[in-house]
Amino acid sequence: MSRALLEVSNLVSAYGKIEALKGVSLAVEQGKITCLLGPNGAGKTTLMFSTAGILRPKAGSIRFAGEEIAGRAPHAIVEKGIALVPENRLVFPHMSVLENLQAGAYQRPDRDAIEGDIEKLFARFPRLKERGAQEAGTLSGGEQQMLSVARALMSRPKLLLMDEPSLGLAPLVVEEIFRIVTDLHRDGTTIFLVEQNAHMALRVAHHFYLMEQGKVTFSGDPGSIAEDEVIRRAYLGTAKA
Amino acid sequence: MIADLVQNTLDGLALGSTYALLAVGFTLIFGVLRRVNLSYGPAIMAGCYAATWTHVHFGAGLIVLALIAIAGAVLAGAYVERLCFAPHRSTGAGPCAGSPVAAMVASFALWMQFEEAATLVLPRHLYAFPPLYSGGPLTVGPFFLRVEALVTLAAAIAICLLLGWLLWRTRFGLAVRAVIESPRAAELAGINVPSVFVRVFALASAIGGLAGYLVVASHGQITPMLGMWSTLKGMLAMMLGGLGSLPGAVLGGLVLGLIEAHSQWYLGPQTRDLIAYLLLFVLLALRPAGLWPARAQG
Amino acid sequence: MDEFSIGVLTNIGLISFLALSAYLLLIAGELSFGQQAFFGVGAYTAGMLTAIFGWPLPLAALGAMAGGAFAALLVGLPTLRLRGLYFAMATLAAAEMFRILFELLHFQRDIDGDLVGPDGTQGFRGIRWIFEQGIEPIQFLALVWALLAAAVAGFVLLERSRLGATLRAVGLDPELAASVGVPILRFKLGVVAAAGALAALGGALFAHHNTYIEPRNFDIMLGVHSLAYALIGGLGTALGPLLGVALDIGVLESTRFFHGYRMIVFGGLVAILLALRPRGLLDERIVHRIGEVFSRHGAARR
Repeated sequence: MSRALLEVSNLVSAYGKIEALKGVSLAVEQGKITCLLGPNGAGKTTLMFSTAGILRPKAGSIRFAGEEIAGRAPHAIVEKGIALVPENRLVFPHMSVLENLQAGAYQRPDRDAIEGDIEKLFARFPRLKERGAQEAGTLSGGEQQMLSVARALMSRPKLLLMDEPSLGLAPLVVEEIFRIVTDLHRDGTTIFLVEQNAHMALRVAHHFYLMEQGKVTFSGDPGSIAEDEVIRRAYLGTAKA
Repeated sequence: MIADLVQNTLDGLALGSTYALLAVGFTLIFGVLRRVNLSYGPAIMAGCYAATWTHVHFGAGLIVLALIAIAGAVLAGAYVERLCFAPHRSTGAGPCAGSPVAAMVASFALWMQFEEAATLVLPRHLYAFPPLYSGGPLTVGPFFLRVEALVTLAAAIAICLLLGWLLWRTRFGLAVRAVIESPRAAELAGINVPSVFVRVFALASAIGGLAGYLVVASHGQITPMLGMWSTLKGMLAMMLGGLGSLPGAVLGGLVLGLIEAHSQWYLGPQTRDLIAYLLLFVLLALRPAGLWPARAQG
Repeated sequence: MDEFSIGVLTNIGLISFLALSAYLLLIAGELSFGQQAFFGVGAYTAGMLTAIFGWPLPLAALGAMAGGAFAALLVGLPTLRLRGLYFAMATLAAAEMFRILFELLHFQRDIDGDLVGPDGTQGFRGIRWIFEQGIEPIQFLALVWALLAAAVAGFVLLERSRLGATLRAVGLDPELAASVGVPILRFKLGVVAAAGALAALGGALFAHHNTYIEPRNFDIMLGVHSLAYALIGGLGTALGPLLGVALDIGVLESTRFFHGYRMIVFGGLVAILLALRPRGLLDERIVHRIGEVFSRHGAARR
């Protein structure tokens, strides 16, 4: 039985006085793709930020490979082996594609291997290689998403967090993104994926959670519940009539 | 007529290179931390006062005094950073994370501290400072070139080249540019953003300290007004060139120096300042982005 | 009350006008480094009106307020679309321009054998209307505080009104306010003019209290001080700026204990205070809580 790489227990996180996570518990299994679905405002991005160290939780715990990481600084979390591909991609717009990748490798001690990793990423994402010297801000949405993923990969993460990678992208590009997700999984990366596009997410996920209003409301495998039921709850939540 | 024009231009460039250095330091803090540091000049003054105190009580050579001025400015800057800027960080999630206004007013409070401390340590309004060069100006044809001005100009060029190398050719520089573009994205890439803040602050303070030393050594005297003067000139030049833009800071400094030199010659010292402020006001009303705008930041 | 205390209290009152002026702009979301310019405009205008043209102080004060509002509009109109630090720097530049203009202002007239009027950097002597009318210091103190109380009352009324709520909304999120139809630019102009008039009133009284003013009185230090008073006193209520002024001028300046170290102590206190409470001592949260305590108290009595 695979052990959980990431274990979140009773996590409470807030923005000032607004509690966005009201006691969230879930687990991400090593070597699998886990999805987090839910309507807007459910707290999915808050959970990603709490795990990545951007937001310090008020209570609860986040364990990564058995080690408590809740409340650590973002750069320390990257050092531990977690990388977040944020919602809205957040590339460095006036730096070149190459420099964006170099930034992703910033805290790696093995400087010599970085060149090799860049080559490998260029092989995986040929469009990025074409635009290597171009300013990242001039790339298309899909290309920026690929760059954001590639930058996160530069830190050689054991766990890749992805927050809405398909947001604002054309269907063909979305297909490509999800192909990349499955490729990364095949190469051994554990992936924790937040998505609005429940349909695509369920096609790749091994396990998924539903979140509503700061709490986890469902946990299961795709197929354990009818897809249209999932999609309904992911977009609309469980409305109490 | 032409001779005056050229002479004033030369003087203006010399003056402007000081302003450029001050503006660069100010801009580094603003561009990276997104904060206005009203204690920037006063920290520079603290460093120069430390050098003056050493000169008054022990006497020391030019290089030693320069190093003391720079080190003093860096120490004073670290004090400001810890007290005014570390508590008001803006990378942190949520709408309440970090207050730029509070940080700025806190930096003003420290400005008051530095000014009072300076008058307590060295009570006289004016102190002599060992001049950079004791001889007279060089004569090149009909023009006078003050040696101090040449040294200042050379120092400014050297600093700008050094800074350019630092920002575009080193790993630290990559981190700084990343933080300038997006502190959030830099955090996610594994960059220790608070550490970048501290180091940039120290760098800006050092550059400011050198600028202050050059001003004081060129004039051969120091007063407590150095603090406010440095902040004002730095801010003016930064806004002229374009908020947050390093090339803009250099350009703004040079333009400010040129305008001051020419206005002073034709219209006198009061009108000189009036024109500089008027120019800034008009520029802000018409083209707030400045003469060499920083690219819009996300 | 002894003369010293009267002097301190009067000073607190006078500077409070300036702090309130900065406060008004702060709650509307704008930072101004330049309110001291309108303080100066009010001082010079009122001084000239009473000392040279023989106007009585009440009329001169009104004239000063009009002058302050007008000067504020001169600054506010070209910078209407500027926000944040850009607006702040524009106010700084404008304020320094005004100060230099005060240095260039020479307008003296022979009044009863004396040369009266602004004399550039030498300043403006002989603003003696208060003394000529035989008004005692304590009476002047009462006047200053009566006017200040009226101003604070005006603020309290404003806070309770829809106008006040809209103002704070604009201050917190201008884009949101604009999207629901608030005429942001007109609001801003109104606030700028009102703040200018308020500062000018303080300046008019200041000139007559001191009898002598010079351009150096109205420098950047004064402006940043008034901003600091508003911020440390607290942005939750108009009493906040007054608290800020009282803390500096009242506690620190008058207690000889801190003599020579006043700025160091005050500066340190301000920095530490702001680290703990970025919106000041009397910030919106605490004011709200105090309000709740009172209304609960009042409700229990009914």
